[in-house]
Amino acid sequence: FGVVTGIDVDIIERLPTPYGLVRYGVAPDHPEVKNVENDFAALFENQNDASSVSYYGNVSVGKDISLSKLQSLYDVVILAYGCQAACKRLGIPGEDSLEGVLRAREFVAWYNGHPEYGHIGSIVQKCLWNTSGDDERELDSSAISPARVVVIGQGNVALDCARILAKGKPGLIDTDTPSQVLDILKGGVSHVSVVGRRGHIQGAFTIKELRELTKLKDEGNNATFIVRREELERGMTDSSKEELKGAAGRPKTRIDKLLQDSSKLYHSSDEDSKKQVELRFLMSPVSLVPKDSNSDRVGNVICERTKLEGEAFNQKAVGTGETESFPADLVLVSIGYKGMPLEGMEESQMFDQSKGVVVNEHGKVFGADNLFVTGWIKRGPTGIIGTNIMDSKDTANSIMSFLDLKNNNAQPQSSSSEDESESLFGRNGLEEFLKSNNVEFVNWEQYLRIESSEKEPSRLRSGDHPREKFLSVEDMLIAAKG
Amino acid sequence: GKHLLDVAHDNNIELEGACGGELACSTCHLVFDQVFYDTLPPKSDEEEDMLDLAFELTETSRLGCQILVTKEFDGIKIRIPDDGY
Repeated sequence: FGVVTGIDVDIIERLPTPYGLVRYGVAPDHPEVKNVENDFAALFENQNDASSVSYYGNVSVGKDISLSKLQSLYDVVILAYGCQAACKRLGIPGEDSLEGVLRAREFVAWYNGHPEYGHIGSIVQKCLWNTSGDDERELDSSAISPARVVVIGQGNVALDCARILAKGKPGLIDTDTPSQVLDILKGGVSHVSVVGRRGHIQGAFTIKELRELTKLKDEGNNATFIVRREELERGMTDSSKEELKGAAGRPKTRIDKLLQDSSKLYHSSDEDSKKQVELRFLMSPVSLVPKDSNSDRVGNVICERTKLEGEAFNQKAVGTGETESFPADLVLVSIGYKGMPLEGMEESQMFDQSKGVVVNEHGKVFGADNLFVTGWIKRGPTGIIGTNIMDSKDTANSIMSFLDLKNNNAQPQSSSSEDESESLFGRNGLEEFLKSNNVEFVNWEQYLRIESSEKEPSRLRSGDHPREKFLSVEDMLIAAKG
Repeated sequence: GKHLLDVAHDNNIELEGACGGELACSTCHLVFDQVFYDTLPPKSDEEEDMLDLAFELTETSRLGCQILVTKEFDGIKIRIPDDGY
């Protein structure tokens, strides 16, 4: 093996705070999923002489420093910036022109307090409360919005959106949902429909998230979960039955059973629930229509009933001509994230526009000397946190092979030029470049100040409230430097 | 008492426990032999839900964070599924 004697890793992040989707994607009522932060924090605490990890927050690659500059400063550059845009579109009328139609990922970023999504709050507020006729400021924080929300798509993000809307402030009070968000959600919304084109066996959601919806009522959220037996039956084609077979079919078999049991449980006494969350299957949105001819606001989602045709694992949802109109005050489109090229990468062959990923083989980027990728920008926006463990091992393997090759082919350097180039290489080179360009980067210690400031008792709603997130980069930087 | 995940960590065995043992992942996935597996207390729905997502799930798989170690464990062999890396 080569002469790699130690590895120094510098992590560069656009926001002052690290962790990406763990901070801004994972739902606030899933704090146990965020525990993975502890493993990451340990990287910075457990340094040794051979290897070290440093953090550079508030540095935007493409803006504050170019990718090519990074590639010249380091032996290896790894892109791990995930999927920022939601360019996957439904391609139906009204999708771009009507008010009250949001991407689910914008809604998620907002309820998690992402500094760039604060503006979503006023849109949500208008959708939830302008229809009520009451002066919204007079309403109690447990008031239930009469708004009807339609979520299009049935992945875990869609189910998260439905659950957050159903829980509202009372159900989220002890989570790290920002107080400003809770003030807008108040007691939640009366009706959420989560709509999917295909059947329940094909839905992308996993059973944990489904189970949470079935337990909403028992956990005191005043929300009944509804699924229609008839739609489960329609979805149980012979091909779907094939999809349930064997060990691979086990997760779907359990999902089927949970849904069947849930469809039996709906009693008329559940009319007492002030809120409803329903999963609708075999319903394909065909257009978004305004409230009335004078309005720019969405009023209804027109769906076409579908039926499944085709072989197992390849069934397609085919329109039947039968339609149903879903009243909607807010529409959340949750059909998938998509990756974007970094500034400067657009024209090159490096980026696959249709898949939204950087072209690579086991994480090594084609046509670029020392560039690697990992995570969603490598394989697309699928999988759970754990999927990234294997993904990163794959990329790490490629990196070690690359370094091995590089060391074996290395030319001996004269000692004088070595000293000079060392000071401008790697971490030292990065810091010198950033400082000379007045880039206000946030190091790990400074991030820890942001973190402890967010947990300051004076900021908190209660003893159980984990933290009150800063909602702007400005506030984060003040806390970091303070 | 300790769970198998804690025991692994105490002995520097590479067993991931990404969620800290709170049934929010499947990274502490372990495989037992059938006879011993049958003696273990039953799985909760929540453990089953996470096992659904485990890589190379078997009929004798459990999550290490849910298995309390007792003296009956003395001498047994448990397999950590190989992820190929």
